[in-house]
Amino acid sequence: MPTQPPASRVPDGITRLSLTGISKRFGGVKAIRHADLHVMPGEVHALVGENGAGKSTLIKILAGAEYADTGVINIEGKEVTIKSASDAIALGVATVYQEAELFGQLTVAENIFLGREVRRGIRIDWAAQNGQVVKLLERLDLPASYATRKVETLSAAVQQQVSIAKALAEDARILILDEPSAILTDLEIRTLFAAVRRLTDEGVSIIYITHRLDELFEIADVVTVMRDGQTIGTYPVKGLDVRGIARMLVGDKYSESASNRAERAGGEPVLQLAGLGSRTDLHHVDLTVDAGEIVALYGLVGSGVAEIASTVYGMNPVTAGTITMDGKALSLRSSSQAHNHGIALLPANRKEQGLFSFQSVGFNIAVGNLPLLRKARIWMDAKRESSVASDMIKRLAIKTPGPKQAVQNLSGGNAQKVVLARQLVERPRLLLLTEPTHGVDIGAKDEIHRIIEELASEGTAVLVATSDLTEAMRIGDRLIVIRNGTTFTEFGPDASQADVLAAAAGQLSAEQERALALKDAS
Amino acid sequence: MNTETREDQTQTPPQPPEKSGPSARLSTLGRALLTNRTVLLVVLLALGIIWMKALDASGYLSAPYDLSYMTSSLVNLVPLTMLALAELLVIVSGRGGIDLSVGSIVSLAGMMFGFTYGMWGWPLAVAILFTVGFGALCGLVNGVLVAYLGFPPLIATLATYYAYWSLALVINQQQPISSQPVVDLYGLSESVEITGLKGIIPGIPLGVFIFLLPTVVVVWLLISKTSYGRKLYAVGTNDTAARWAGLEVARTRAMAYVIAGAVAGLVAIVTVSQFASARPDAGTSGNGMALPAITMAVLGGVAITGGLGRVVGVLLAALLIVLLNAGILLAFSGNAGSQYQLLMLGLILVGAALLNGITMRKYSGSNR
Amino acid sequence: MTAPTPAPDRVTARASGRVLPSPVTGQELVLIGVIALLWVALTIFTPAFLSASSLQSLLVRLAPVGIMAIGMTCVIITAGIDISIAATLMVCAVVTAKLLTLSGMGAVPVILISMALGCFLGAINGLLISYGRVPAIIITFGTANIFQFIGLRIFNSQTVNGIPPTLGFLGPGQAGRVLGVPYAFMLMVVLVALAWVYLRHFPGGRHLYAIGDDEQAAELAGVNVRRHVLSAYALTGLLVGLAAQVTIAGGTTTLDQSVGRGQELATIAAVVIGGTSVMGGRGSVLGSVLGALLVQTVATGVTQLGWPTQLANLFVGVFIVVAVGADLIRERYARTSV
Repeated sequence: MPTQPPASRVPDGITRLSLTGISKRFGGVKAIRHADLHVMPGEVHALVGENGAGKSTLIKILAGAEYADTGVINIEGKEVTIKSASDAIALGVATVYQEAELFGQLTVAENIFLGREVRRGIRIDWAAQNGQVVKLLERLDLPASYATRKVETLSAAVQQQVSIAKALAEDARILILDEPSAILTDLEIRTLFAAVRRLTDEGVSIIYITHRLDELFEIADVVTVMRDGQTIGTYPVKGLDVRGIARMLVGDKYSESASNRAERAGGEPVLQLAGLGSRTDLHHVDLTVDAGEIVALYGLVGSGVAEIASTVYGMNPVTAGTITMDGKALSLRSSSQAHNHGIALLPANRKEQGLFSFQSVGFNIAVGNLPLLRKARIWMDAKRESSVASDMIKRLAIKTPGPKQAVQNLSGGNAQKVVLARQLVERPRLLLLTEPTHGVDIGAKDEIHRIIEELASEGTAVLVATSDLTEAMRIGDRLIVIRNGTTFTEFGPDASQADVLAAAAGQLSAEQERALALKDAS
Repeated sequence: MNTETREDQTQTPPQPPEKSGPSARLSTLGRALLTNRTVLLVVLLALGIIWMKALDASGYLSAPYDLSYMTSSLVNLVPLTMLALAELLVIVSGRGGIDLSVGSIVSLAGMMFGFTYGMWGWPLAVAILFTVGFGALCGLVNGVLVAYLGFPPLIATLATYYAYWSLALVINQQQPISSQPVVDLYGLSESVEITGLKGIIPGIPLGVFIFLLPTVVVVWLLISKTSYGRKLYAVGTNDTAARWAGLEVARTRAMAYVIAGAVAGLVAIVTVSQFASARPDAGTSGNGMALPAITMAVLGGVAITGGLGRVVGVLLAALLIVLLNAGILLAFSGNAGSQYQLLMLGLILVGAALLNGITMRKYSGSNR
Repeated sequence: MTAPTPAPDRVTARASGRVLPSPVTGQELVLIGVIALLWVALTIFTPAFLSASSLQSLLVRLAPVGIMAIGMTCVIITAGIDISIAATLMVCAVVTAKLLTLSGMGAVPVILISMALGCFLGAINGLLISYGRVPAIIITFGTANIFQFIGLRIFNSQTVNGIPPTLGFLGPGQAGRVLGVPYAFMLMVVLVALAWVYLRHFPGGRHLYAIGDDEQAAELAGVNVRRHVLSAYALTGLLVGLAAQVTIAGGTTTLDQSVGRGQELATIAAVVIGGTSVMGGRGSVLGSVLGALLVQTVATGVTQLGWPTQLANLFVGVFIVVAVGADLIRERYARTSV
């Protein structure tokens, strides 16, 4: 039963950082409607919110990458203006992103001091610079020998710490960590937390952005929840639990099962994964997808959701377990082999993995279907190519002046439809979709979901791997939560968003989750 | 860090603002010239010929710049355009694709042709097939180094340039092969009159018909009408996406180098017939043949980053360069002519590259 | 508002250790080994190789490529390249030769003029590349032609005859050495040492590596990318002007327009064999000089063994493949280790 959220904290004393009345609009879309954020000195202040809630825009405003339309920013009680990245750094606001923006071929010490080298005359004073670097590394409990290591030889976790060290070198008083744990192992997360605590002891304030709600109880003092472009409130972490936060994140919406898919599932199993494991990401993945069924895989970024899809597609080597398709065991080593078995995949990142940007819509659709569109294995059937292109444009309602338009001139949603169209020219037996509506406007989102459902009704087995909770709940006949690279638990169509989110982001055991799922269904 | 939002925008990217009036017409013309390379080249070609004719009329030229001179100068068009098409394939294949070794393949394959046809008495057709195949083999080395072993194309083809160049010089102790069968091939370079057009269009070198035209047709068919062509453009535009779409990236890329080598092998036969001798420095004398070939490709609109380039552009660019070169020879006496050709080639290349850069940034919106 | 920066203090001996990756890389050690092997083998087969005159002439012939390789290394570290140095060399050489022959100018002014001219030509490249945002390979292909035109016009289809021995102190003759070591070689060593120090111990030098690694990130970090790139090409031109002096000194009293032919490729080969990556961000002048030495050793060895001189190029091609291949393999392993 839903409980009332506690009252939002009112800061007492001078805040380290205060954002009041922030709003920001991009074109016709209001990314932030109203945001207030008050960060005290030396506290770990978590910031949580679903994709699209406005978190990333708020952080960009703080980092100087965007400029707010309205609102005031105060640091230590004085009003400031942040118009660029260097403004932010000069004011002591440093941001550490997931992808460390370091120079791989330079050493840690060089990276930390690039552009601000410690000099003696005109030469670099290595001894003095190194001394400072070693001090910084000690603050983060990193070995002094790292100072002279090339960054590219260090693990992603250590590189992240180097980014933090670099921020400290620039006298950051407010350190923003953007989903740092997404790429870390459990052990590395412990190290990160230790470093964070050390920093707050020194008085640095940390803004900690995460999707993993269970982390908050270990590391955060307070949490600010954002939803639909607004900050809902700031709460001491002590008085909350994961499901409580999850409820605040999703509001009181319950999932809407979209449309009435009367003929759902009921087909024979098409895809069966048993104990599937891959070298780095996955272990003990078990799931089944029947013909005509839409199975949604939901998990936080980094939980392995996308990797399951790419492994089934042959792009990720299998080290354990089996993939069975229509009863036959498969051993796929390339995407073309997957194609031969009727498996199609929509890649997660359309710009890098899906689109041939300055080629035409027709080209983008045809390029994944060459065996179908050619005669005598060599000659392209131009007539068929263009009729296929026009058919797909019509069928998927792609808004384009014509098949010769370059895809980079299309909006995100329509470009995504083009990549989807490529997969659908020949009806696949199994369709894998990764983040199918990422960066897509509402209208196109609906259309893409409709297309997916039509496909399923025609008998295709569909697996949707997504980190968008609403999408997973809306489109899936069944929803499987993926956590830490393995299948965690399954939900039926009547689950609540909060429960699913808690399962993906929380600490409950599998049994507790199942009990909850059953309880909600009854 | 940068001002672009990480997620895709939902609105379409901004188009250049529409203006009205005469300035609008001018800017539309400007845009057409910049974005449509074919139009630009035709305009430049027309301007170039007009300029040469004007110089001719004012008496600056040592010989008339008339139709018969222009068509006879087409003999230079044949080998260079063919190599420019070879470069087209390699550059379109992406990842810094380039082939510095085509000139030395011409030299080496030419020597092989000299041996097989000129000294060992093989039948002409067999010798030709062998030479082309040999060129393809040389290209295969490049293809394996670049596509399968991950060498930067500049370095790989630099290395093979050295290797093939030295092999060509060494295998016959730097001596050309000018035996009778080879000398007799000179007939292949003569000009022919096209029946029916006699008196209207003067003699066009035979090589244009038996070597250049077939190569142009084959390359054009290959890149625009076959599935390989689609794969080539895909791999050159975005090889990650190509992999996700199920294409074999390495094989497609390596094949481009193989075909380039085969074309170089055919060019070897052309140069042997033009010199009436198989010379070990045929493709590597002076600055070599790779440089003008690459210039023609870049001028013809081939993007050095891959994925873009058309046969018609390369053809027009080659024509422009050859005709201007021919005109320059008339405008300047003695060695100065060949020197001014160098200047023109260099200026054209720099200008074309700057133009390519502006066009891509301004009108395609892509961040390359 | 922010806490004051703690005063920099000296680090203890324990913590300092080595501040940068090893000064000599594995690739360079292998190169030294290969060169040593070649020298031993050549001495066995042609004892004349190790004679004073043979070594001296090798070192003098090494000097121009070694000097130019310094600039080329800097350029390639920034993920650029310069194909026009052969043409620049020709221009500087013919201007120098004419000045020496026609106006009897002294060594010092002629050297300075040549360096200034080279620097100017290099700066043209630098401006086009850093501001034109066009790939360096295409730009320098083009300027190679343009500079070659300039050089050929100055030659005017004639050889320059009767060049006085003003630059003899840079040559292979008696006047060109002290204690048996050629001045030209010592000049090269000094320049390499200076470049070495600059690239390792000066911010500007380290910034070149940053630019080659990730130009956008370098820009964001406050590095003036344009100025650095321009300087790299201008420096290369300046060094080419200097190399032209050594080239003239090492030749006969006539200079013809084939001077410098192929030197751009020889220089690039030297740099690449030495372990500098064309992808940028990595490299050292020590490796480049060793690469130049290897190439020169091969050339000398082939001549002394009586083999066809062109065979040397074949070996160079093979060495490029082996060196770059080894480099690629090493990079793949470096990235996966922790």
